[in-house]
Amino acid sequence: MATQSSEPPPPPSNPVDQNPGNVQPTNGNQQDAGVEAVKQSSASVFVNSEPLREEQVQNAVKFLSHPKVMGSPVMYRRSFLEKKGLTKEEIDEAFRRVPDPTPSIQATNSNQEGQVKSTPNVQPSSPAQTLQPVAAAPTGVISSVGTWTQPRFHWYHAVYAVGLLAVSGAGTAVLVKKSIIPRLKSWIRKVVLEEEDDSVKKTNTKPSLSEEAAAAARSAAAAAADVARASQEMLNSKNEEKRYIKEFMNMLDVQVQEMKSMSTAIHRLEGRTDNHVRNSLADQEDYRTSVSNPKQTYTNGKAEIDLRAGRSSSQPTSAEPSVAPHPKSYMEIQFGNADEFSSIMEMVQRGEKPANIRDINDQPPNPNQQISNPRIAPRTKPWEVGQAQNNSSPVLQSQVSGEGLNSNVQGNGINQLDGESNAPWWQQKNARITEIENGDEIKAGPFGGQTSQQPVRRTWVPPQPPPVVMPEAAEAIRRPKQLVQKEQSEDDQSAPQPTEIADELQRITKISESGGAVEINGGGSVLNSSEIQEEQEQILEGN
Amino acid sequence: MPVFKTPFNGYSVKFSPFHESRLAVATAQNFGILGNGRLHVLSLPPAPASPLTELISFDTADGVYDLAWSESHDSLLIAGVADGSVKLYDTALPPAQNPLRSLQEHTREVHSVDYNPTRRDSFITASWDDTIKLWTLDRPASIRTFKEHAYCVYSAAWNPRHTDVFASASGDCTVRIWDVREPGSTMIIPGHDFEILCCDWNKYDDCIIATASVDKSIRVWDVRSFRAPISVLNGHGYAVRKVKFSPHHRNLMVSCSYDMSVCMWDFMVEDALVGRYDHHTEFAVGVDMSVLVDGLMASTGWDELVYVWQHGTDPRAP
Repeated sequence: MATQSSEPPPPPSNPVDQNPGNVQPTNGNQQDAGVEAVKQSSASVFVNSEPLREEQVQNAVKFLSHPKVMGSPVMYRRSFLEKKGLTKEEIDEAFRRVPDPTPSIQATNSNQEGQVKSTPNVQPSSPAQTLQPVAAAPTGVISSVGTWTQPRFHWYHAVYAVGLLAVSGAGTAVLVKKSIIPRLKSWIRKVVLEEEDDSVKKTNTKPSLSEEAAAAARSAAAAAADVARASQEMLNSKNEEKRYIKEFMNMLDVQVQEMKSMSTAIHRLEGRTDNHVRNSLADQEDYRTSVSNPKQTYTNGKAEIDLRAGRSSSQPTSAEPSVAPHPKSYMEIQFGNADEFSSIMEMVQRGEKPANIRDINDQPPNPNQQISNPRIAPRTKPWEVGQAQNNSSPVLQSQVSGEGLNSNVQGNGINQLDGESNAPWWQQKNARITEIENGDEIKAGPFGGQTSQQPVRRTWVPPQPPPVVMPEAAEAIRRPKQLVQKEQSEDDQSAPQPTEIADELQRITKISESGGAVEINGGGSVLNSSEIQEEQEQILEGN
Repeated sequence: MPVFKTPFNGYSVKFSPFHESRLAVATAQNFGILGNGRLHVLSLPPAPASPLTELISFDTADGVYDLAWSESHDSLLIAGVADGSVKLYDTALPPAQNPLRSLQEHTREVHSVDYNPTRRDSFITASWDDTIKLWTLDRPASIRTFKEHAYCVYSAAWNPRHTDVFASASGDCTVRIWDVREPGSTMIIPGHDFEILCCDWNKYDDCIIATASVDKSIRVWDVRSFRAPISVLNGHGYAVRKVKFSPHHRNLMVSCSYDMSVCMWDFMVEDALVGRYDHHTEFAVGVDMSVLVDGLMASTGWDELVYVWQHGTDPRAP
């Protein structure tokens, strides 16, 4: 399934490229020595290392041995077992163990796919479904979704049933004809003979009588034929009626289920006071759409399913019923332009196209266009320990240098606000939130004492924090996961230090050895050892 | 706080990893059901009272469901389009010269694009055709296709510390962890009983992953003991559409939901909901936190509005 090919070679000029000694995938994902050192050196932490659970495997074998399961696509069986929490190895082992089909107790449950496909209405009426082969176009969709082998049995049953009915109808018609018409003929012959006997005596009236008798016999025969035809038609109509009744029953069942689910939804919604009005509107909408589309089912998050349904109906080339079942469902509409959304959905499901769509050619004008070289060096991420402070220098550079896209706006923005010795408005944090975050971070871990200083750093540098008395201990605590990315910091040091931001930034950047400047945004709780280092330096220098 | 009104319904918003004041929005017409799409590149104004300014925009034939900024080139954007194509845009070139590439391999809608933040040379796309594809900028075809999910893949996210590991969330109710060096998935987490719409890794703890599901909850998992979640975050009234861990704080994450709200969570705390923003009037479908600016968030929704605000402020405040 997954095609294999070699990895693309990392671009040689990428300064962020890992130290080759660590990247080579002999050890899996062993980039940092901290957490992963606990695991085996050859296994990545993203692999399931549990042993096979025999009980789960046996349950899976029972499930897979069930006759109904045997007829289903392998994908659905695997997906079901995965959802039950079996690992790949357990699933593979179960597949290996499944013998030839043996009659076994009904496996786990009957709504295997019910969760994903959400079609609870298929199972209850299985015996009744044997008699509706043709008319069940929508149920055909759901039955292909919900059950694996029932369609096949149904087809056979349906064919047999239809055949039986036809044969019986034809047989009765034939029997009728055979039984009644000979009797008629014999009766006619008797009558005619009698007539002939009588005709000797009554020559005038007899012929007319015999003619009348013959005419009567003929009409009787015609009537009998009509009766035969009528009875046959009645049989046919009875069959059709039976079919319609079954269909109707199914639809009623569906409606009942929908009503139930709607009522549960309404109960749930009762607590939302601001949506009461919308509720009633929505329910009316729901009812309308559900009446018009009888085979829809209810799930939470129906927007996803609706979109897929809308798109699959509008793009006939893409959807295949067996691959991607997309049950159509009505929307639980709780927002302002509910009408607009539902009207668009209905339009699309009918096959119409909304009027506001333009024809746009979005193909590349020059498919061989070269991708320009990067202009700005990539920035290290705040979570890449020890490198956070490098971010600020490229920021200023990039915003001062022109890039062809309104760089003036950005440059001016920064410059204008610098005068206040405050960062741009979007970097200031609400004092309320800093309290919350300080609280959180104190609970979070050993960095609590440190973080309370960070948000205030920008505007006022507090006296050196006492908690960090033992630099070695602090560093040991701070470096549980040491990334080998120190080389990156040295690579990134081509940029000159910034001089335009707040005063404390300048002070700290001059001091720091590794060249990392404090982030403009104050760093929040970006905690890294280099900051500790700076503060320690400040302590030492008696700053 | 600055706002931007998009002509189409918003689907995704992402901050640029190079420029603090730049972000991009993916939009789709007619709620993404059927219609055109547009990519906007916006810039933050110098004063919070002004609206966001549009630097450039690109039109597409079909809705754009997601986008990703390149981590190697400051002006490149990848767009995941509803017709299954993956398009590469250069925001430094005018729209007439864009897109640079249109890669048509997915057979159904591309729902998610994520650029590798550590290797910076590759990206993955997740599609409703049950597959995830791995691409690089220089190759015209995908490098690998990962096909194991049984239903639409809604989201794929690279691990921020391990360059070859990524996770995918799917409508088959599982999250799979993949390693590009392995032929198949290395882990399967049956995370929820309903479809999982989004997953994201913790930036500070490489084994923690959060999943957002149709069952209105967000679950936080440690992949080393994935049988039970570390934490279940309830509070949204409807399906949770996106979840994103903060790039600056190990405990914080934001989420947006069909209940029209954007919530901020701290999953290490008993009372996890630490912030709630109800500024949208339709499904809130896209949310992002800036990597460069601590606390800066953006969100977009089907109400055709893009908001940018600092955590703790009111997004609708002037």
